[in-house]
Amino acid sequence: MTSPALLYERVEKFQQKFLIAGAIGLGLCAAGGFINPTQFFRSYLLAFIFWTGLALGCTAIVMLHHLTGGAWGFGIRRLLEAASRTFPLLAVLFLPLLFGLPRLYAWAQPETVAADPILQYKHFFLNKPFFLMRAALYFALWNLLAYLLSKWSAEQDAAGNAAVSRRFEALSGPGLIIYGFSVTFASIDWVMSLEPHWFSTLYGMMFMVSQVLLAMAFAIVIAMLLSDAPPISEAISPGQFHDLGNLLLAFTMLWAYLSFSQYLLVWAGNLQSEIPWYISRASGGWAAVAIFLIVFHFAVPFFLLLSRTVKRQMRSLAFVAGALIVMSLVDLFWLVTPAFHPQGPRVHWMDIVAPLGVGGIWMAAFLSQLKNRPLVPLHDPDFDLASFAAARLEGASGHGH
Amino acid sequence: MDPVMPEPSAELGVSAPLIEPGHSYASVTDKISAIVLTRRTPRWWMLGFAAAFCLMMLLFFAVAYLFAVGVGIWGINIPVGWGFAIVNFVWWIGIGHAGTLISAILLLLRQQWRTSINRFAEAMTLFAVSCAGLFPVLHMGRPWLAYWLFPYPNTMGMWPQFRSPLVWDVFAVSTYATVSLLFWFVGLIPDLATLRDRSRNRVGKIMYGILAMGWRGSAVHWSRYETASLLLAGLATPLVVSVHTVVSFDFAVAIIPGWHTTIFPPYFVAGAIYSGFAMVMTLAIPIRAIYKLEDFITLRHLDNMAKIILATGLIVGYGYMMETFGAFYSADQYEKFMILNRMTGPYAPFYWALIACNIVMPQLLWFPAVRRSVVGLFVISLVVNVGMWLERFVIVVTSLHRDFLPSSWGMYYPTRWDWATYVGSIGLFLTLLLLFLRYLPMISIFEMRQLVSQTSGKTESRVSGNLDDV
Repeated sequence: MTSPALLYERVEKFQQKFLIAGAIGLGLCAAGGFINPTQFFRSYLLAFIFWTGLALGCTAIVMLHHLTGGAWGFGIRRLLEAASRTFPLLAVLFLPLLFGLPRLYAWAQPETVAADPILQYKHFFLNKPFFLMRAALYFALWNLLAYLLSKWSAEQDAAGNAAVSRRFEALSGPGLIIYGFSVTFASIDWVMSLEPHWFSTLYGMMFMVSQVLLAMAFAIVIAMLLSDAPPISEAISPGQFHDLGNLLLAFTMLWAYLSFSQYLLVWAGNLQSEIPWYISRASGGWAAVAIFLIVFHFAVPFFLLLSRTVKRQMRSLAFVAGALIVMSLVDLFWLVTPAFHPQGPRVHWMDIVAPLGVGGIWMAAFLSQLKNRPLVPLHDPDFDLASFAAARLEGASGHGH
Repeated sequence: MDPVMPEPSAELGVSAPLIEPGHSYASVTDKISAIVLTRRTPRWWMLGFAAAFCLMMLLFFAVAYLFAVGVGIWGINIPVGWGFAIVNFVWWIGIGHAGTLISAILLLLRQQWRTSINRFAEAMTLFAVSCAGLFPVLHMGRPWLAYWLFPYPNTMGMWPQFRSPLVWDVFAVSTYATVSLLFWFVGLIPDLATLRDRSRNRVGKIMYGILAMGWRGSAVHWSRYETASLLLAGLATPLVVSVHTVVSFDFAVAIIPGWHTTIFPPYFVAGAIYSGFAMVMTLAIPIRAIYKLEDFITLRHLDNMAKIILATGLIVGYGYMMETFGAFYSADQYEKFMILNRMTGPYAPFYWALIACNIVMPQLLWFPAVRRSVVGLFVISLVVNVGMWLERFVIVVTSLHRDFLPSSWGMYYPTRWDWATYVGSIGLFLTLLLLFLRYLPMISIFEMRQLVSQTSGKTESRVSGNLDDV
């Protein structure tokens, strides 16, 4: 058991390390960008989408919990909120992409568009000013949601007025609708339009599920790392880890369900306008990545997470969750990179260093947000920490129904 | 009590009661079993049964004529080969989904509010699946050869085409019907034993006695019962998603614009749960008023169901939006035409009625006052039922009637036999439902007793309701 003071020190130390690692990583990428700017933007896009997706998933889970309640969410709510407060940073991290649009997107290259009637048609949607306006709107909405959720949480921690709970509920319904719309269109803008001829109506929903899965895995890992000191040690019992594990399992299944549905329908239709997307992703070298995803993003975590023992032990659950975080990045790599290398996977060193660099900066921002607020809700009317911890000790001997 | 309940002053939060105060084990058992055993069969039941029975006879008449003459009596032809039969099939099978969701997923999630509505929601599932199953068989043209759908060794050298989702449907729906029946029956056993013990006439004793399968309520029985129902819940959970996913594949595997789109699986599943909960609400509201069950099916139940209807309705709305956006973004002239034809073509009134019923009206459920108004909820649930039927009509008919070749366009008009079969299937559904209400306990007696013991001491709090032990 560590004392809260020691924990604070540890978080601060990690924050520094992440910041340094992130600066080095991004520095290396910047240097790489001078030598190979196209590759820089490709790798940087991957990194940006990954970490933005994590922050978005965290915001979505906070809102889901406000709407549905349940014991599972109180212990991780403040961690998720800290992640959601990184949207200002992510908006800044979006800016470098503005210089790389023609290198990334065929629809941003005038000469390509001039030779392609379909892209000329799509110009009403895929054009630079509208693209930027939409991106600005997404960040405005995400920042607003995160700001309100965190602001009211601070009010709740300070004063504990019950009216805040009702405000949370009133925001979370429309908030999730905003989340759904903005993530759908952001995924179309930023990722799907890399292959501007291709379209799938399921794509946005798949992104939402991937984000929520990633965020849940992230919350489990962070909660495990903080669980050897109060207050997290008191707020999250094995029972709650079990719940979180079940949710992780549910999201993993949902991810597989949507991925499979999209694949089956495109495969069965076998249309000229749709099938190329899967031809590059499910044949040649990319087929190996696809099979790797089926095995390690679905089959193995699925069977592990069915086990009660795995879910009730923090370490084993966090191990599975950590693996799923890595697999989420592989999944994103499989979604993004075949647009540039349809023949087979090619991993450039920047494909690894850019996610780590952006991740270092992001983690440092996350930890600085985390340490400045209480780690668990202090005055949520539905969550009384003292009685919760007492009940937990009582139930520790004879838990389970 | 009046069907329109006075507005409760308290917020319908988690602390609102799932069962009104003042009930004991005995009063719960008395109240529910009396409906079956001692109370006189109410006059409205007689009238309702007579009406439903007449409609069922209409179905049998229409089916008999269909068998004699053939599917030519329906409005289907080229290009619209899938008319009312498939619309009704999808509508009925969707309605069934609420029962499975309530009994399986909400059981696993330990949502106690499911207790008083699960029994008749499961019954509704079973009857809806029975109605649904009829239609593809009737649509075959030679229904007596329906067994050809199953892969069995035969001398004709025939084998089902396993790449066709229509074959997957056979397995999905028959599995669904089997698991739903088992789940429902296993859940009934303890209550059947209660009825056996309380029944005062010989026939009742024998019938309930046979069905109760020797249940004595010993600790061993209960422990086996718990295991069996958890296992069945686990088995039924994937079915909530898989059945309607396969139904969506029936459309989306084809390459017809309006059918072939990847959002179909999740959007069909959400639509199924949406229409299912609307139907549970449509049935629950009159039943609780007529049988005076407001103590058991409280406003909190209606409030929770309204929230699920709102949430799933929004997912359905997301599906419509993606379909429309996708058609324009895709740059495919057929896709664009399909959407424009839906919005402005000959069937446009159906499309806009569907948007009004499924998307616009349910937005009223955002208001707590609407969620607390029993009449308001009843009207909205009916509107959603209509809207979901229209949705399937629009998907089936507008996609087929004008596809790639203008020379092969055509219109679809249902005939009186189409209507007779559809209305008749509602008669079959209601007949079965009324028989169920009369002869079996419509609310699970033993689970309500459990609820009495849990709610008598303390009110449940959010913290205690976790997803443990799933």
